[in-house]
Amino acid sequence: MTAFLWRYSPLFLIAAAWEIAPRSGMLDAALLPPFSEVMAAMARLIIDPGLYVHAAASLMREIAGLGLAVVVGVGLGIVMAWYAPVRILVNPLVRCIYPMPKSALIPVMIMWLGLGHLAKIGLIFMGCLLPVIVSSYNAARGVETVLIWSAQNAGASRREILTEIVLPASMPEILSGVRTALALSFVLLVSSEFLMAREGLGYMIAFLGEGGIYDAMFATVLLVSGIGFAADRAYLAFTRRALAWRA
Amino acid sequence: MAEPQRAAGGGIRIAGVSHTYRPPRGRAVLALDHVSLEAGDNEFLALLGPSGCGKSTMLYLIGGFLPIESGVIEVRGKRVTAPGPDRGVVFQHFALFPWKTVRENVLYGLEKQRLPKAERMERAMAFIEKVNLTGFEDAYPAQLSGGMKQRVAIARTLAMDPSVLLMDEPFGALDAQTRRLMQEELLGILARNTKTVVFVTHDVQEAVLLADRVAVMSARPGRIKEIVDVADVGGTADAIRDRRFVEKVDYLWNSVRGEALAAQKGV
Amino acid sequence: MSASGLAGASLRLLAASGSVIALLVGWEALARSDVVSDFLLPQFTVVASRIAEDTLSGTLPVQLGLTLWRALAGFALAGVIGVGIGVMMARNKAAAWFFDPIVSIGFPAPKIAFLPVFILWFGLFDLSKILMTAFAAIFPVIVATAAGTEGVDKYIVWSARNAGASGRNILYEIILPAALPQIITGLQVALPISLIVTIVSEMVMGGEGLGGTMMVAARFADSVGVFAGIVQIAIAGYVLIKAIELVRRRLLVWHQETQQIATF
Repeated sequence: MTAFLWRYSPLFLIAAAWEIAPRSGMLDAALLPPFSEVMAAMARLIIDPGLYVHAAASLMREIAGLGLAVVVGVGLGIVMAWYAPVRILVNPLVRCIYPMPKSALIPVMIMWLGLGHLAKIGLIFMGCLLPVIVSSYNAARGVETVLIWSAQNAGASRREILTEIVLPASMPEILSGVRTALALSFVLLVSSEFLMAREGLGYMIAFLGEGGIYDAMFATVLLVSGIGFAADRAYLAFTRRALAWRA
Repeated sequence: MAEPQRAAGGGIRIAGVSHTYRPPRGRAVLALDHVSLEAGDNEFLALLGPSGCGKSTMLYLIGGFLPIESGVIEVRGKRVTAPGPDRGVVFQHFALFPWKTVRENVLYGLEKQRLPKAERMERAMAFIEKVNLTGFEDAYPAQLSGGMKQRVAIARTLAMDPSVLLMDEPFGALDAQTRRLMQEELLGILARNTKTVVFVTHDVQEAVLLADRVAVMSARPGRIKEIVDVADVGGTADAIRDRRFVEKVDYLWNSVRGEALAAQKGV
Repeated sequence: MSASGLAGASLRLLAASGSVIALLVGWEALARSDVVSDFLLPQFTVVASRIAEDTLSGTLPVQLGLTLWRALAGFALAGVIGVGIGVMMARNKAAAWFFDPIVSIGFPAPKIAFLPVFILWFGLFDLSKILMTAFAAIFPVIVATAAGTEGVDKYIVWSARNAGASGRNILYEIILPAALPQIITGLQVALPISLIVTIVSEMVMGGEGLGGTMMVAARFADSVGVFAGIVQIAIAGYVLIKAIELVRRRLLVWHQETQQIATF
């Protein structure tokens, strides 16, 4: 416990500085409300059911888009690595689209799908699909040949090798790629909610900012950052358990 | 429980086999040059040679992992076309499935052979016991030492009941002490279940200790330089002090030495 | 380069451009067919001619230049400060203690959420975009630099000490070069982030720049304009990535990964 407190204690320093600077006039309090006021605003938000409506909208889009990207991406990546025809077909697409900044897709999504949920889910799906495909593909290609030979030696069929050997062996790298996709999904979520939403946490931040309610705006920004951080930590804990065999 | 079935060994016939190694970038290289070789039923044949001489390539051709482009390989009269559990392979770096426990690794081949569950379990535990790893069935490979990993690999392969055992420098990744212990263990295991064995190594002493015959291969491109009978020496731990043993090792080392020097020059 | 090496490289170049060509052909074919409307997917040839128009009229170079200037300025800022902080964290316990929670929370958090904060503080012009970009891009640089610097093989440091090198020497002549591969990897991660964040910032704040013009096109349902923007950004992204790969190869000529390992 003390180790935990010690590790995060610089944050207390920053909170203290955040409190003192605006109050003492060093920084303009209109632009940076003191920490205590931001915390008060956060408390008010937390008891306000409206927050949860927005949060639910955001998280729903997030999970749908990312979940779809992972399922399709892992499947496609592994199949690409294993079956030449699929690879030849899909590889050019991947190689071209991969270096493109995914946020460039936002205007297209607005045009195609308007301002509803589907647009955001579509954006997150398309944006996260590629990193997942690429890491799954590389992982599957990188499976040690001797493991495959071992399975062949035991008499496994092609399909069995794919599901029983290639997939588990690729897990570490796939999970790492999904972690990147997770972070990206949050970025795309917030970006799209700034630009094309009527509810959601990103929308809240923009709305509060435009309305001049800065203490609540800062509170929401911190909240969103916290959610991104917590999601990453939870994901790491999950991967540690899933990869327990790595010792 | 009853002793696992003693599979009869299988004769291996290799005739005029050549193999070219074609890397994705760079020039093609002739790895094996018209190699002909035979191993009799239940014979322990060692392939001895310097690095890069193609001995592992030869092994993988017999195993069916590499395409046989020229020449013929037959095992028990049947031409080799694909991998299969009749020719069990033990790899140098163990090739265990890291996400499976020891037991699950040993069970894998048995599952592929679609044995009934109870029999699978029995066989797996029997072979784990044979390699002295009882108590470690639920451990993951990452938790085991090198010697233990190799024993799991051996158990896994033996459990498949192959007629031929193909071993690619199986003790090469182990430290010298563990290597000697494993050599003794292998002799013990084979004494109880004889099989045809093709054993690749660059260690002369190991070859004479374990094998009935030793085939010396030349530096790349690999050819059979000579075959020496060592059935009358080796076979037990203290055999290495025997005078005839030392003479045979000496003789073979001199045979290999020139090839090793040539290989070092990066032929 | 040997003859076979040249042939191999040309073949790979052909294969790579082949994939682009395949994509474009597929695009054109799909667009021309009646499967999707012209609004949903305008033909590539139409998009290409729009891009040509914009280039000749000078609008494209201006917009592209603006976006790139902001992205690269933010990237440079993130690079310089990030490497500095990273090295400090690896070598100084106090710095490590102070920055660690900030970095470990900041790294996975969506920094773009701070965009309204930057708008509030720095307005709607270049400065806020550049600073927002730098803020988002700095984290991977810090993490990679700290890891790379810390991970330098202690034996080569001892070797240098053995030869009589001073602390300062060792930092600049031994540790930084040894950490360079990982530092550059961090920069390679930061570069696309810089471009993404700049573009999103432009989209939100409006005005000039590729992001801004794309949003205008979207609002006016100018489908061709939107796709032209995508192509332009894609090319910009591709060029930047290739450029930094080139820099990496030049700087890391000595590194194992660049050498063709003798295959036997």
